[in-house]
Amino acid sequence: MPKRLISLPKQALRAILTNKGRSFLTVLGIVIGIASVIALVSLGNGVQASITKRISTLGSSNVTVIPGGGFGPGYRTQQGGQGSSGQGDRGSDGGGMEHPGSGGPVGGGVSSLTFDDLKSLQTGKHPQIKAVTGGVTGSVILKKDGQDRRYSVSGTSASYFSINNLTTEKGSLFKEADENAKSRSVVLGNDMASDLYGSKNPVGRTIAIGNEAFEVTGVLKKVEESGFSNPNAQSFIPNTTASDTFGSKNLSSITVQAKSDKDVDAVKADVKKVILANHKITDAKLADFSVTSARDMLSIMDQVTGILTSFLAGIAAISLVVGGIGIMNIMLVSVTERTREIGLRKAVGARTFDIVSQFLVEAVILTLLGGLIGMALGAFIARTAANMIGFSAVITANAVLLAVGVSSAVGLVFGLYPAVKASRLNPIDALRYE
Amino acid sequence: MANMIELKDVKKVYRSGGEDTFALAGVDVVIKEAEFVAIMGPSGSGKSTMMHIMGLLDTPTSGTYLLDGTDVSKIGKRRQAYIRNQEIGFVFQQFNLLARTSVLDNLLLPTIYGPVKNPVERAKQLIETIGLTDKIKNKSNQLSGGQIQRVAIARALIMDPKIIMADEPTGNLDTKTSHEIMGLFRKINEEGATIVLITHEREIAEFADRIIRIRDGQIVVTDTGERDRHAEETH
Repeated sequence: MPKRLISLPKQALRAILTNKGRSFLTVLGIVIGIASVIALVSLGNGVQASITKRISTLGSSNVTVIPGGGFGPGYRTQQGGQGSSGQGDRGSDGGGMEHPGSGGPVGGGVSSLTFDDLKSLQTGKHPQIKAVTGGVTGSVILKKDGQDRRYSVSGTSASYFSINNLTTEKGSLFKEADENAKSRSVVLGNDMASDLYGSKNPVGRTIAIGNEAFEVTGVLKKVEESGFSNPNAQSFIPNTTASDTFGSKNLSSITVQAKSDKDVDAVKADVKKVILANHKITDAKLADFSVTSARDMLSIMDQVTGILTSFLAGIAAISLVVGGIGIMNIMLVSVTERTREIGLRKAVGARTFDIVSQFLVEAVILTLLGGLIGMALGAFIARTAANMIGFSAVITANAVLLAVGVSSAVGLVFGLYPAVKASRLNPIDALRYE
Repeated sequence: MANMIELKDVKKVYRSGGEDTFALAGVDVVIKEAEFVAIMGPSGSGKSTMMHIMGLLDTPTSGTYLLDGTDVSKIGKRRQAYIRNQEIGFVFQQFNLLARTSVLDNLLLPTIYGPVKNPVERAKQLIETIGLTDKIKNKSNQLSGGQIQRVAIARALIMDPKIIMADEPTGNLDTKTSHEIMGLFRKINEEGATIVLITHEREIAEFADRIIRIRDGQIVVTDTGERDRHAEETH
């Protein structure tokens, strides 16, 4: 390699060190740009990872059937009741949520899902289905520290606990027999138990739900909250009992667990077919329920957080461009300041190419330096912020490559103009410059 | 001796506001190999422009310049840079050295841009010749004016050029230092280099073999130092 190339980094470093203050300010712009890109991308990735983890606690092989054409119960103004059976008590539920402090039973939203649907999925005709549970939701107002608090009550099948990996800390869960017997047993979530009873053992005590007394048979072990429900702050009763207590003949949701992840799509199709037949709907587009899997949710959330991350990275990229313009400014000032140096170099034999490469290498070294410092700073900021918020930032190789790539590109692009400007100077004009 | 530098009716015109200013209004100059020539003239006379054209730092508007027998108008920019690097050594009045850079690195500057045998050894030898061995690592801003010019002369010599061009090299120096510098140029000339020296001081010009006088972009007289002094007295 010719000496003029070998000496480039040395020359550039000398020029950078000769003007330490100016170099520092130049690098600072890039440091801020790269640090914000790295920090925001890492935080975004961290949020994505944490959401993914929460959704996967729902059970990746679970398929959920909810009433209505879309997400959420109670929005069936057009399709409500179509082809569904057993909707006679629609007027009594839904409104129950509007009576705070009544302490009375509260029905779930209007639902098209029935116990028949649940039963037809349970019959064992579906080899890919491992377990099925149907829920009736309601709530109860109980006293905590002398104040009324509303707790949610889930009427579930006994299989609910196994599908959601819930086990007891004290006492026992209710069984299928309790379902059939419509027994008045309640299993408390961990937080709810400690809210109501503190350190005392709640097992064997009774609480009032609706107008009935329920015996606490067990307390669940504390679990991590999933994205959509928090079993720690709920109580669970058999869904048959709940149907009576809340006066709701229908289910607010049915959860079907597939034998394995790869059966999920088949189970989804199967479940849809069975319930459509039950509801005597021939056109699938008019279904009064919807079937989603945890994986569907996952991909939707992935999309949302992905867009969010790109959006944040885009904003951060603006600061990178600003940093790049800073580099260009400083390099232009530097070219002007060093006009005589350029003239001298040309007088002793430097070619146009030598001058271009000298200034370009200087700009690239400055931005790479800024990129490296920015990367460290960005990682530090992401870690600290993530620790404070309570999840972990994910610093990917992609983000690092992006930062290094972008910073050297910024150096090249924004360094090019000053470098070319410097190299075009006529040697004598450069030498005469004052 | 062969002609090292030959200018034939060289003109340099600056155009500003539709008006032409002649920095050089057609000059004919011949400088032979190993000659020591001083170019004298008042400021604005065009002497620096002439030297810049001779040193390939500037291009004439018209006329022919033969450097060592070659028409430089037919030489590309890259080749011109190479000639400046290999064949010509410059000493300027000011801004000769890179700021905050050591004596040794300043000397080595031309060796970045072209080949020379044993650059570092050669640089050290030259530094010894100019008597600055003890300041080899000093930065340029820690040197006196005379030391800076000596370093500049040493740098002009590092590529072992055929021609040395100096533009007012003693302009900022006291008499004693000026004479020392001129002694250095004489010695270089005796070793075979062609020297073109620009000055407005007669005392300095007298170190040369021959003086070319220029005024308003034209050669007034070109002759030996003795004859020139006579002409000056009769003015």
